[in-house]
Amino acid sequence: MTAGAAVAGHPPYRRGFLRLVAHQVRYEQLSFWRNPQSAIFTFVFPLVFVTIMGALFGSVGRSSYFGGLSALQYYVPTIAALCVLGSCYGQLAVALAARRQNGILKRVRATPLPAWAYFVGLLAHCVLVSLADIALIVGVGRLYGVPFPSHWPAIALTLVLGAASFCALGVAVASVISNAEAAPAVAQLVLFPLLFLSGTYLPIHSALLNRVTGWLPVRPFNEALTGPLSRHTGADWRQLAVLAAWGVIGAIVAIRRFRWDPRPE
Amino acid sequence: MHTELTGAAPPAAAAATRKESLMPPAISVTGLRKSYGSVQAVRGVSFCVRPGEIVALLGPNGAGKTTTLEIVEGFRARDGGAVNVLGRDPGDKPAARELRGRTGLVLQDIAVEPYLTVRETIARQAGYYRAPRAVPEVIGLVGLAGQERRKVRALSGGQKRRLDLALGLIGNPELLYLDEPTTGFDPAARRGAWELVRGLRAAGTTILLTTHDMAEAQALADRVVLLSSGVVVAEGPPAALGGRDAERARISFRLPPGVPVAGLPVPGGMQNGVVVVETARLTDDLHRLTSWAMRHDVALSALTVDRPSLEDVYLTLTADGGPSGPPERSTR
Repeated sequence: MTAGAAVAGHPPYRRGFLRLVAHQVRYEQLSFWRNPQSAIFTFVFPLVFVTIMGALFGSVGRSSYFGGLSALQYYVPTIAALCVLGSCYGQLAVALAARRQNGILKRVRATPLPAWAYFVGLLAHCVLVSLADIALIVGVGRLYGVPFPSHWPAIALTLVLGAASFCALGVAVASVISNAEAAPAVAQLVLFPLLFLSGTYLPIHSALLNRVTGWLPVRPFNEALTGPLSRHTGADWRQLAVLAAWGVIGAIVAIRRFRWDPRPE
Repeated sequence: MHTELTGAAPPAAAAATRKESLMPPAISVTGLRKSYGSVQAVRGVSFCVRPGEIVALLGPNGAGKTTTLEIVEGFRARDGGAVNVLGRDPGDKPAARELRGRTGLVLQDIAVEPYLTVRETIARQAGYYRAPRAVPEVIGLVGLAGQERRKVRALSGGQKRRLDLALGLIGNPELLYLDEPTTGFDPAARRGAWELVRGLRAAGTTILLTTHDMAEAQALADRVVLLSSGVVVAEGPPAALGGRDAERARISFRLPPGVPVAGLPVPGGMQNGVVVVETARLTDDLHRLTSWAMRHDVALSALTVDRPSLEDVYLTLTADGGPSGPPERSTR
């Protein structure tokens, strides 16, 4: 009975910030790598995609169609972006909606684990997955003659900012969707046309379209990754600013609308 | 008068009166109200749970059990009334955070990640608490010894439920909430769970559970709070609920063909071919009846003595959707 009174005023969890986040990341990673579905969607699909593109266009050199890049120089960053989107936005929205539906989120909420530790843990997990993804894709790209990038700090910055923004958007979508069965469909419905229009699968040569998608989250991320991965330039601050703004919007929606409980208040 | 010694006299006097029960209640709920839109789910519910006690919120679906429990747990905001849990108000955010470290809960649905092992699932949860129980101890406690390395998805429904219970216990809570804890258990697993819950009480854990299963309330609870349509319709130990212990007893038996009911030494009536004698003086009437039977060499087959079951009381008290006025202790 006295334990609670003795510690009143202190946070009721026992670990420091980093240890708590590491604890979360460890189990998120275990859960992730053992789930064949997440492993396939996040890894096999992008790798197959790069390999196919390599087989189709591997011999095509620099062309104006790909904005002065070779086909693979074009696809390595866009597929890398796709991976980050998949693990941060898609997976997260679906996983959170499912966890809410079956009560796992409610159970987490019932523990002394602070909400921020849960979400920082998720973000760190997503960054790790994205890192592994990008390393693989850059590796496959190298096989098709795309030189290794040199601006690693710019890549790291873009990656972390992009992961954070898309995680925030993923949590926002999970907050807005009320049932878990609809989550994958809604998440993909929003994402898929946007991927196409943002030039992930094919270069877009419409100035108007590019202007519009330049203000949406996907194209700025593609551009921000293409710089350091293929053009050997540094961080693209303008694109990163657009990306960060979307992250803030996502975070605001997530904070205001996120529910731990499957039943509405 | 010694006002100079006691300072503010009236509040001190009030505090002294309250002190007469040695320990403050673990949970006290007073006049709790909650509506969803125009539906009043909880309409002035009051009850308390003393430290070390098992209290069951019993009632049909939609009676307001889960809403009440979720407000007490701090998951849901209330519209009115007062709630106090371990000396704090769960509706207050900092207090709710502190309470989460001192309470454990098991939800209605099985809520465990499929790809972790039993040990990992429990160790993960243990990391959230300041002073958790040891993981192997909890595994043993819920009867999952030998299953530590199995993936959660490979467990049976009953085993997952035990894992769920383990997650509720790992933080070594002073107070445990169980929302329909044995739904979906087979009879043997249910008895096992009951044993476990009784063992927890013996170790000093206070338990508030919801159930719509009367046998469970009867087997586990020190006191039952019977809810119907958002109000408390009866409260008390299961044996005395709704004045059940003071009810007339019922003797029932079959008579051989040709023996008339009118010839019995006690007044009785026929119900579906069974003679039923209702009596307020059971010992006397039973003696009179059996000695009459022996004298006349009449076999009273299927002889049974009972009182209204908890189920009878439950069905009577919850039948009309609950009273709209103030709750009564008994409807008879």
